[in-house]
Amino acid sequence: MPREQLAIIGNGMAAGRLVDDLARRGGLDRYAVSVFGEEPQGCYNRILLNRVLLGGAVDDITLKTADWYAETGIAFHRGAKVERLSPAARRLWTTDGHEHYFDKLVFATGSEARVPRVDGLRKRDGTFKDGVAVYRTVADVERMRTGAKRGRPAVVVGGGLLGLEAAKGLADLGMHVTLLHLFDTLMNRQVDRVGGQMLQKAVENLGIAVRTSATTRAVVGDKLAEGVSLGGGEVLPADLVVFASGVQPRIDLAKDSDIPTNAGILVNDRMETGVHGLFAVGECVEHNSRTYGTVQPVYEQCAVLADVLCGNTTARYRGSKVHTRLKVVGLEVASMGDIDGKDTDEVVQVIEDRRGVYRKLVVRDGRLAGAVLVGDASAAPALIQRFDRGDPLPTNRLDLFASPDRGSAPADDMVCHCHQVNEQQISAAVRGGCRSLQDIAAKTGAGTGCGSCRGKLASLLLKAAPPTAAESSRHSLERL
Amino acid sequence: MTTAARPLPTTRTHCPYCAFQCGTVLGGDSPLSVTVAGDESFPVNAGKLCIKGWTAGELLNAPDRLTTPLIRTGGRLKPVSWAAALDLIADGVQRIQREHGLDAVGLFGSGALTNEKAYLLGKFARVALRTPHVDYNGRYCMSSAAGAGNKAFGIDRGLPFPVSDIALSRTLLVVGSNPFDTLPPITQWFDKQKTNGGKLIVIDPRRTPTARAADLHLSNTPGSDLALANSLLHVAIEEKLIDAEFIAARTTRFDAVRRTVLNYHPADTERLTGVPESHVRQAVRMLDAGPSMILTGRGPEQQSKGVDTVLAFINLALALGQVGKVGSGYGCLTGQGNGQGGREHGQKADQLPGYRLIENESHRQSVAKVWGVDPGSLPRKGRSAFELLDSCGQPNGIRGLLVMGSNVAVASPDAGRVIERLKSLDFIAVCDPFVNETANLAHVVLPVTQWAEEDGTMTNLEGRVIRRRKAFAPPTGVLTDIDILRELATRLGHADKFTFADTETVFDEFRAATAGGTADYAGITYARIDAEDGVFWPCPSVDHPGTPRLFAERFHHADGRAKFHAVEHRPAGEEPDAEYPLYFTTGRYQEHYNSGAQTRRVGKLSGAKPMPKVQLHPELAARFGIEDASLVTIESRRASVEFAVDIGTGIRPDTLFAPFHWGGRVAANLLTQASLDPTSRMPEFKLAAVRIAAVRSG
Repeated sequence: MPREQLAIIGNGMAAGRLVDDLARRGGLDRYAVSVFGEEPQGCYNRILLNRVLLGGAVDDITLKTADWYAETGIAFHRGAKVERLSPAARRLWTTDGHEHYFDKLVFATGSEARVPRVDGLRKRDGTFKDGVAVYRTVADVERMRTGAKRGRPAVVVGGGLLGLEAAKGLADLGMHVTLLHLFDTLMNRQVDRVGGQMLQKAVENLGIAVRTSATTRAVVGDKLAEGVSLGGGEVLPADLVVFASGVQPRIDLAKDSDIPTNAGILVNDRMETGVHGLFAVGECVEHNSRTYGTVQPVYEQCAVLADVLCGNTTARYRGSKVHTRLKVVGLEVASMGDIDGKDTDEVVQVIEDRRGVYRKLVVRDGRLAGAVLVGDASAAPALIQRFDRGDPLPTNRLDLFASPDRGSAPADDMVCHCHQVNEQQISAAVRGGCRSLQDIAAKTGAGTGCGSCRGKLASLLLKAAPPTAAESSRHSLERL
Repeated sequence: MTTAARPLPTTRTHCPYCAFQCGTVLGGDSPLSVTVAGDESFPVNAGKLCIKGWTAGELLNAPDRLTTPLIRTGGRLKPVSWAAALDLIADGVQRIQREHGLDAVGLFGSGALTNEKAYLLGKFARVALRTPHVDYNGRYCMSSAAGAGNKAFGIDRGLPFPVSDIALSRTLLVVGSNPFDTLPPITQWFDKQKTNGGKLIVIDPRRTPTARAADLHLSNTPGSDLALANSLLHVAIEEKLIDAEFIAARTTRFDAVRRTVLNYHPADTERLTGVPESHVRQAVRMLDAGPSMILTGRGPEQQSKGVDTVLAFINLALALGQVGKVGSGYGCLTGQGNGQGGREHGQKADQLPGYRLIENESHRQSVAKVWGVDPGSLPRKGRSAFELLDSCGQPNGIRGLLVMGSNVAVASPDAGRVIERLKSLDFIAVCDPFVNETANLAHVVLPVTQWAEEDGTMTNLEGRVIRRRKAFAPPTGVLTDIDILRELATRLGHADKFTFADTETVFDEFRAATAGGTADYAGITYARIDAEDGVFWPCPSVDHPGTPRLFAERFHHADGRAKFHAVEHRPAGEEPDAEYPLYFTTGRYQEHYNSGAQTRRVGKLSGAKPMPKVQLHPELAARFGIEDASLVTIESRRASVEFAVDIGTGIRPDTLFAPFHWGGRVAANLLTQASLDPTSRMPEFKLAAVRIAAVRSG
């Protein structure tokens, strides 16, 4: 049977994952896959862009090289931007003038940086002024790297996930960074007010200045950026101005091709767009009135789409539960679900101001509806798993914050399993005059089997021995 | 029962149970007066024994020791003569093969058998029965680590170094193993490592005694070990802790692995693994302080992605450059007494002696030459353990089965299904010292010798070949498995291939059969084992010193390099869902061994642990109103089992644990599922989805 032609537009993390998911399901026997990637690189891990900013090679974060596509039998159209497509004719055209036929098509066009309306951003030709950048692609971070100068001032606009990452990256490159945020607390979409304030202190401790409730009016400077003027008229000097104020789905191509869109390309539970045979996946998608900007939902969509493309008739995407983790060393932030809660919810907050740790749970009907962790995210895995599964919570909600590796006594207090001697028997032996491991061994047999309990025996001996004898038992331990 | 009054001086031999094969010294002039002591001079255990070892003498005097063959008549097993029992087996086998073909008879061996027995069993299958279907319970134990070792290093030896090397590692990572309970005498090496300033990291969903002793315990979600390993490697690369020089000089294919693990940022994987990013980073930094060693147990191995999971940890060890130097390396903590030797010598469906492959023409020729048969007469590759059992009584499946040294009715996954399959056989014969749960299903049961009553060699978890020595004459009426194979071969017309003067002559033929193979025993003799406290394979000639440490110079692939393998997480064969929301995992108690067929017969052991208990977290207990005295019914898609409970914080709140040492209504394996690893055919004992179906006060 001839393989159907499957065109994937985009070569970001969604496209890469989809191809892997198809391969795992035998989908490459069913489809001749073509991937159209606008960026010149192979598929790379966008989440790790900071590594390129800090001087790493693009190859360090590249998931799939051009060779990989060749070896896997996938046609990789590198640097090829799809300009136009005709769902009716089942054809698409790239900017270099080529026409491609397809039976099925997937939009994996992702998202692009949202640039706020700010004066002075661009040169006359419409491109950014020197010293102005967004934070989205390899090209963007290469531009940032070029513009970054040790000891010089930089401004990052946007105090969300991306903005914090970009600010930290530039600070690591030795720039004096000021972070501007439109709202009054950082990461306001994922972290509540108390947490945002705690986070701000932590960011400031990294040497990054933070201005909240800051409106960015204009980039100052003729040909290259010299500073940023704020709403109040103040001008902050800056050699480099980075806009990291969120992303928006890339839907132009779909829209131009009369595929129904809203904020994103509209899809149903099977990742089908409004046009038969055309699908969409990833950050370009709007499903059930929601768009997503983190990687886990994208992967979940890819799994469903791969199933659907491989003939699974029951696969459905039901939306994702979003978990956000800030990936900035030294800033632990985790957030999931509803962070503010409704009036009828129980809210548990643990605020450790001096330690810079904030933990909040929103509990609805005995289950976790949302959580925020700032400063110490070690409880995040346990929380997110409960959030995902909808497990009932323990009656004492604070149990959820217990360290996963917290100590616990074994159910029985057996010390020497080999000779079945328990803690009470050891204590009794010590009270009865045993003062060394040899004494205990002679009296109870403990410690003469596999020897694995000798450490425990030694500590019990020290604990149970009367104070006057502690010194001598210590000596006898040293001899061992 | 009469015991031969052959007064022997003390005998140096080894414990009947696990792969640690502690040296023991047996005293007393008969089994009734036997004393067991640790052998101070044997370097592996240095005189230490666990409670199972100390009490092993009781096995020799067990009141229900089988001393006569039994045949099922009128639904009950009744004593018969050896001649009658052997004739019945030979006739049954011949009839089935005549009517249904050679492939309709299968053999099931064991990691408890000596090398000599395992070798002969494989030979018996290929030469006397000419069936491809011989496999063994080691498939349930070490097969995933074996598969990964072969892929990565080109060789599979559980520990590629002496166990004493543990003390020389600066950081020790133990994955899914609880050696403090399952290999207690190993604790001395952990203690020495700690005294030397070493650190211990344990990955385990349970807070076991080993985990409690660790400097860092990563309590991961069942089935997430692979993702955790990949995220450890992700961090090692990110923090520039990998050994680029080692990777370039001694390995291949790193690039694909590097790209694969880019998607395993610990902040992303923690949702799956349950392990916080901070702990992942801490673990990697500890491992960077080498020499570091990674040891896996059944946790990562007994999964339907067991081979890939082990490969992920080997990738980590290789990337850190922690292989081949003293105190470093990857190792598998083998489970069964002769789990190592048992998998090398041809009782595995795809293998011939010396770790040769049955589908490799030159390997077939080498072995056929030693056996004096036409290579073309050797069967091809047969079914793996679970698949072999699952085919019993099925169309084109096994109709007659001979089981040697394995209690498959208890030790197999989805045990209820396996028992039904066994019941549907035309014919099943079991060789065992006791009437275990599998023997209870048999048409013929043959009584055989046990550890202190026989000679032979075992290969311990280090790849050290050691001698099991006879201390006492067996009870009258009992034969060795070797005798049985010879008698059956004679009845089947192959006496010439199975006539041996003694066990040592079997060993000598077996040495010849391994010569030139990967697991080359050619240079190992009984005399050398006696003189050298065991000899490590490969040992190709009598003047070769043996090989305590592998990989110092080269790996065993043709190019001498180790191979990285890019591996990805995938879901288990059965993941918890709304209907069955809890993870169920299985393992061992310190007091019991494998299916419990031996240890349940020892008073002190069964007294300490008379029944299995399901371990669960207090949070779960509170949610279901479970108290210490409660009995809870655990239900999977396959069965319901009622257990007593063991409530404590030593387990994740989403996970239940029960030991698998019991059969009957409390068999943990009634609940487990048989998704198989695609390479090793290992069943997924470590993960099933269950629910708490009922609670009643006990």
